[in-house]
Amino acid sequence: MGVKKLCGIALAGVLVMLTPAVTVYAATKDDIAKELICQCGCTLLLSNCNHIECMSRDSMLTLIDQKLAQGQTQEQIIQFFVNDYGEQVLASPPKRGFNLTAWIAPFAAILLGGVVIFFAIRKWVRRSELPPATVIAAEEEDTYRQRLEKELDRFTERGYR
Amino acid sequence: MADIGYIALFLALTVSLYSAVAHIIGGRGRDPVLLASARNAALAVCGLITVSVAALLYALLNHDFQIEYVASYTDRSMSLSYLLSALWAGNDGSLLFWGWLLSIFAAVLVLQKREIGRELVPYAAGVVMFTLTFFLVLSLFIANVFDKLSFVPADGKGLNPLLENPGMFFHPPTLLVGYVGFTIPFAFAVSAMLTRRLGDEWVITVRRWTLITWLFLGIGNLIGAWWAYVELGWGGYWAWDPVENASFMPWLVATAFLHSMMMQRRRGILKIWNMVLVILTFVLSILGTFLTRSGILSSVHTFAESPLLGYMFLAFIGVTLLGAFGLVYYRSRELRSEAEMESLVSRESTFLLNNLLLVGATFAIFVGNFFPIISEAVRGVKISVGPPFFNQVNTPIFLAIVLLAGICTLIGWRQASVKNLLRNFLWPAIIALATSLALFIAGMRQAGGILTFAISSFVLATILLEWLRGSRARHRTRNENYFKAFVGLLGANRPRYGGYMVHIGVVLIAVGVAGSSLFDVTREVSLKPGDSMTINQYILTFDRLDRFSTETRDIVTASISVSNGGTPIGRMSPEKYFHRSYDQPVTEVAIRSTIREDLYIILVDYAEDDTTAFKIIVNPLVRWLWIGGIVLVLGGLFAFWPEGRRQSASAQRE
Repeated sequence: MGVKKLCGIALAGVLVMLTPAVTVYAATKDDIAKELICQCGCTLLLSNCNHIECMSRDSMLTLIDQKLAQGQTQEQIIQFFVNDYGEQVLASPPKRGFNLTAWIAPFAAILLGGVVIFFAIRKWVRRSELPPATVIAAEEEDTYRQRLEKELDRFTERGYR
Repeated sequence: MADIGYIALFLALTVSLYSAVAHIIGGRGRDPVLLASARNAALAVCGLITVSVAALLYALLNHDFQIEYVASYTDRSMSLSYLLSALWAGNDGSLLFWGWLLSIFAAVLVLQKREIGRELVPYAAGVVMFTLTFFLVLSLFIANVFDKLSFVPADGKGLNPLLENPGMFFHPPTLLVGYVGFTIPFAFAVSAMLTRRLGDEWVITVRRWTLITWLFLGIGNLIGAWWAYVELGWGGYWAWDPVENASFMPWLVATAFLHSMMMQRRRGILKIWNMVLVILTFVLSILGTFLTRSGILSSVHTFAESPLLGYMFLAFIGVTLLGAFGLVYYRSRELRSEAEMESLVSRESTFLLNNLLLVGATFAIFVGNFFPIISEAVRGVKISVGPPFFNQVNTPIFLAIVLLAGICTLIGWRQASVKNLLRNFLWPAIIALATSLALFIAGMRQAGGILTFAISSFVLATILLEWLRGSRARHRTRNENYFKAFVGLLGANRPRYGGYMVHIGVVLIAVGVAGSSLFDVTREVSLKPGDSMTINQYILTFDRLDRFSTETRDIVTASISVSNGGTPIGRMSPEKYFHRSYDQPVTEVAIRSTIREDLYIILVDYAEDDTTAFKIIVNPLVRWLWIGGIVLVLGGLFAFWPEGRRQSASAQRE
């Protein structure tokens, strides 16, 4: 298998990893409560809010119970809360319109960065294939090395100050 | 006492400003006398702020309630240790603590004897002292911890009961050490640009600073997660709260920097990138402070809102960004590297990808964190960005990062031959496949779970195989027994093997997170005394509800007998208590933890007739998260531990 092919497979693998996981929900009270933010000001998920004095938690959960009993779907119930409180009741912005920027921007940035890195590495690899411009003679290198070691030893002795 | 503290702080400000200016002028003119004076001034600042902190501690311990801060965060009933922790319980105190830490770091910076990076010290110290001056200005004129009340209250308000947890002694200070510590690498980077010493020197100088700071920030976050888990009582450890995110972002970027600095040292590339990472780390850590203190985003962590403080931080961030990136631009020609690479597939490439993903994850968190503000500005609509967003966006990125940690171990520096690659990949890949298959046969059907565990086993296998190969080679060449060979191998290159240990820690954390977030079972029930309920293999019997009072609080305790698969395993007692001076009740969760899973019981509510509502959660594998955290910290310390001078010099030359 060629290196390029391997690279392709690796890249494809990474892309697959980057695809957001699709979650399937069976609507229970807790599932719906995980999609909503409690409106008492605690900024927690409704399913996580546990203050005794939090008034919105109980009323919101009771509403979910009632609507589930009436046979409403998860979408209908969540829409009810959005109509009531506005979009801020949703635990995450819905994937449409302007909100899409938040969902897409991170992956777009990573992809763009990936492309930049790919071309950078290719450029660097090509550069290394060119012959080196100058070759330092062995004796010359030796003089430099001796000088370097002497200076390093001096630094070690004297330290900072 | 308050006056002594204030005067010491005021003197510290003047001396600090002098030290900053003297360091810069002395550094420019290479004036040893002025530099020595600047250095002594930095030490004096440290002494002066220490006096100020001592004065505040004295006031806290002696209940000097005329000082507003003491009256707001302590009361007479508090134990000595909580009184001491009040130093960082409030905004003003924690700012003073910040300044104190920074002054200690500055003292270490100027006192440290170093072989490499000596010429960078004057400007670096100058930058640190300027930063310190800024914080002292805040402490003196905007958030003065020594402000006095016009009367002396009989008792103070006391500490928020939520903060009464051992976490209070460790979480804030470790986190603050993390935030403050990143000033030093930043200062050296700026100094390198100012002095045009743009080679490896500054990177070598800041490696251990960055590592220990990164470690502290990591410890702070882990303790915070543990604290949330045992104290906040919602069954989780990470809520993607804006302030949690703010402390996670600099940690991620610093992680990227710890990796990319190796590239500069080994290959002389990524010089500009390293500058960018160091600047971002510093700015993000200041941003965290800005978020907690400005009240711009709502969070459980915010101190009282103070718009003026917010503007000051914003201005500081702006100046830092402009100045530092301006310098990068100004020096960009000299920072450009004549980079060469032998192959597209090499460890270098995995490092670049790792950096991309770490910074990408940071960007994702940044976008999520600030999107409510952006949305309101653009559409005029208030929205929330909560855990579902962060989990969905970050899970794939983090999985890819963990996977890369494994792949990177298998690919050699410079150039990887295909034959080598295949040989190295074979066993880890087989182990990963076997893990997936075993999980599938055992009944696991969540693709995310199988994928995470497969990747985790793959990475673990690569690291353990690498250790095995290294030990075997030593065993053969040096005739040592396997144990000695293994110990010798780890000791021979501590930064490297410490790094691998950190990777193992991260894998264990990933296992814990996957287990507890994908396979948790929650039940909410209302029980009368004598009632039983079942969750998984556990049977819980609610025996009784007790109410009693202590000097400071009213406590409600539920007694629950628990049996696991028919065998009684003991009694668990979730509690709720009501502090006299605070309205908000505190939930004391009952947790029974094993390496397999945690049984987590929350007392939600109770009625007059003792009918009690419980929330019961079975959280699988949570303990692995804490074990992983400990491994990560040990690995980090192992990598940090100083090498002998001779050894380190030879390692540098390698």
